[in-house]
Amino acid sequence: MAVAAVHPSGGIADHIHPEPHGFIRRYVFSIDHKIIGIQYMITGFVFLVLAGLLAEFIRVQLMNANGGFVSNDTYNEIYTMHGSAMVWLVIIPIVTGAFGNYIFPLQIGARDVAFPWLNMISFWMFPVAGLLLFSSFLLGAPVAGWTEYPPMSLQGGVGTSMWCAAIFLIGVSSTMTGMNFMVTILKMRAPGMTFTRMPLFVWAQLATAPLSMVATTALAAALAALFIERQFGVPFFDAAHGGSPLLWQHMFWFYSHPAVYIMILPVFGIISEVLPTFSRKPIFGYKLIAFSSVAIALSGFMVWAHHMFTSGLAPYLQLPFMIITFVIGVPTGVKIFSWVATLWGGKIHFTSALLFAVGFLALFTFGGVTGVFLAAVPFDLHAHGTYFIVGHFHYVLVGGSLMGIFAGIYYWFPKMVGRMMNETLGKWHFWLFFIGFNGTFLPMHWLGFLGMPRRVPVYDIQFQTWNRVESISSFVMTFAILLFFINVLVSIRKGKKCGPNPWGGRTLEWMIPSPPHYYNFKNIPTVYGLPYDFSEPLPYTGLDDELNDKPPAQLAGAHH
Amino acid sequence: MAVRQEAPVRVDRNFWIVTLVLALLSAAAVAYWINAPISHWLPSGSDSAQDVDDLFRFMAASGSALMIYVLGYLLYFLVAFRAKASDGPDAIGVQVHDNHTLEFWWTLIPALFVILLSIISVKIWFGIQLQPSNGLVIEAIGHQWYYTFRAPGVNGEIPNEVHVPVNKQVTIDVTSTDVIHSFWVPAFRVKADMVPGLVNTIRFTPNTVGRYQIICTEFCGTQHGEMNQQYFVVDPPAKFAAWLKGWQVKNAGVSDALPKAGAGGVIDLSKGVATTGQALFTQKCSSCHAMASFDHKVVGPGLKGVMADPSHPSLVNGDPSTPGNVAKILQKGYSGPIGVMPNQTANGLSDSDIANLVAYLKSIK
Repeated sequence: MAVAAVHPSGGIADHIHPEPHGFIRRYVFSIDHKIIGIQYMITGFVFLVLAGLLAEFIRVQLMNANGGFVSNDTYNEIYTMHGSAMVWLVIIPIVTGAFGNYIFPLQIGARDVAFPWLNMISFWMFPVAGLLLFSSFLLGAPVAGWTEYPPMSLQGGVGTSMWCAAIFLIGVSSTMTGMNFMVTILKMRAPGMTFTRMPLFVWAQLATAPLSMVATTALAAALAALFIERQFGVPFFDAAHGGSPLLWQHMFWFYSHPAVYIMILPVFGIISEVLPTFSRKPIFGYKLIAFSSVAIALSGFMVWAHHMFTSGLAPYLQLPFMIITFVIGVPTGVKIFSWVATLWGGKIHFTSALLFAVGFLALFTFGGVTGVFLAAVPFDLHAHGTYFIVGHFHYVLVGGSLMGIFAGIYYWFPKMVGRMMNETLGKWHFWLFFIGFNGTFLPMHWLGFLGMPRRVPVYDIQFQTWNRVESISSFVMTFAILLFFINVLVSIRKGKKCGPNPWGGRTLEWMIPSPPHYYNFKNIPTVYGLPYDFSEPLPYTGLDDELNDKPPAQLAGAHH
Repeated sequence: MAVRQEAPVRVDRNFWIVTLVLALLSAAAVAYWINAPISHWLPSGSDSAQDVDDLFRFMAASGSALMIYVLGYLLYFLVAFRAKASDGPDAIGVQVHDNHTLEFWWTLIPALFVILLSIISVKIWFGIQLQPSNGLVIEAIGHQWYYTFRAPGVNGEIPNEVHVPVNKQVTIDVTSTDVIHSFWVPAFRVKADMVPGLVNTIRFTPNTVGRYQIICTEFCGTQHGEMNQQYFVVDPPAKFAAWLKGWQVKNAGVSDALPKAGAGGVIDLSKGVATTGQALFTQKCSSCHAMASFDHKVVGPGLKGVMADPSHPSLVNGDPSTPGNVAKILQKGYSGPIGVMPNQTANGLSDSDIANLVAYLKSIK
């Protein structure tokens, strides 16, 4: 039906740029979206190791009710840096910068993103920001938590100002990446790829990009104000000099609630790719999944004050924020039901990627349920600021985002490297991580309910047993991640070589060699339909010669 | 492109057996949460605590049911639809794309649930957040890293613990003198942040006599984890009356003295003379402040009943409206969202002028 709208792709091959020469232009200051994606991935995982070590310091300190591993002030630096690094240097850069950069341009049949130089600049701001943030340890790191509420954050040392500058920098990078991705998706899709033929990972990035662009600017304004107040004494937030402490909270959460969706929407996209491939079935309810991402992104702008129910909002203002937050549960629930239904009637292959996607479904659903608990103002007045919150958001960010990141790596590693990962190690990784995760974060819910506040280096003796269970479980989790790193490092050199499409995937990135050529597609293919119909011929024509019209053998349904 | 041929979708008998098992498990979970002994895990010492626990029961019951269905179907599908060796590498699943009836219902049911949850939450919210005060007001003030309290008729701040009578509604006005703290008593299921420059209010009726730890849940610095050494004590009425009387007598003479701006000594506010203060007010204050209600602003707010009007428990800088705090503003001046007021020196006030002005302002109710 859409054939008339499709353009012949012959002449486009003329626009291929030559591959740059020299190590620096190729691998350091590269403008190739694939190299930049890998750079984001490696840098993100380096920071994951650092922030993960900080997490283990936290768990060692909390083995005993009276602490004793580090001093109170050091402990406060550690948990503040753990949270800040995990949010801004690990999850956000990996789900947008790494997976976004590498995968979606391939999926829309593009040769690069719209603004490759801007992409390179965005990337290089990220390690600079990370180094700036971590070097604050030398001068006294920030202590007031990743939320840095003033006036507390006005009392910290110079490290807090470095924190402002570092997060500002990463925010600018994130804003530029959002704009870059949005333009790329809107303008550079292959002929015939209408919106309703886009793979769901592309939809997820399209829903995320405007969040990065709009919300991050509010954070930048808040950070600039905090920096100016700390360095030059202009009282934006200090009540003693006429400022408003709540102003910071509004600006911070106006960014940081949408940021929660920046961290999870791309992962929704990963799950929506992994499940169809390994159940050999179309995704269930394509349109509902695509549109619910957009609905979640939009309503994500209208719920920020649900983080502030105890802060001193006018009471009536609490009601709309509570109810809109409840409402977000509906599109989220619809997505979960659709993913579960995708597995029904499938031919399910238990790969590591599938296990992590299924683990995501279980843990993210739990985190979503406790999120609804916290949205209810009367319950939040009890649970706010306790370990219940800590448990809740780790279910969403580790059980959700990080599980999804692992699913994505096991899925796309062969595409990026041209070799397979070790599936046995992958399964050990999954099971140890899944068990360790629940042992670490599940008890936090009842500890918080019973009276354990968050951000404390010491706590009441009655909570010690469960804290020890959590700490030991967290060591299991860390060991699982160690297995993952071993798997990656060994597989890069020794993994079994794979062809273009080891999983029998049907999106465009599987139609080109692994790893892809510098230019991705010599001929830009033409797209005729959705990618997820396993019984149909592949909906593409005009693929490159070496693979042209020759889908991998294991796929049912020959092309033409 | 040809119209897509949907495969016929049928579920087998096993699906219905699994559905029945999950329904039974969900019913068991709901029954468990309805009867869960929450007050054995954590004492519920106030009327609103019961309401919060009921809301928690409702959410935990429905949340558990949802988890059981999602996890149950997930596990069942993984087992029932695993690719078997006999399938061969080319086997594909049932090519079903969507099912509008199913999608309609699994959107509608959560939407209806959201409406129900909203109604229940709003109803409980009204009971907690909008109950009118019956007049008993306690103030709690956060400091790095302890709480102090003010009670009706008691001069100055009370350390260590505050008492209230059982089965009588209490309003707690909370604020802070430095950074943001929080006032949480788990047994009452209520919490308010103590924000400098702002007075937040919580209101509830404690119904169980006891001594309850107050816990800070907003990070406030080095000893945040140890900011739980003060207590909220619920007494029988007679015991409370004796406690209050004791502090009123004990603090009658000693408090509400303001340290002098220079080195050493205090300004004894009890020596102030109201009539002298009245003349000073006309001379020094009336160009900016009316002797009218708070809202009657000239440059600064109206000052009639500044230490007596219960609708304005705090001053413009967020401090409780006590004689000592009024004197502090006269001494140090004020600069903030409302405007700027010069300090003692700039206004040409002596220490005894401050005492006289405070005595006058206190006498106008």
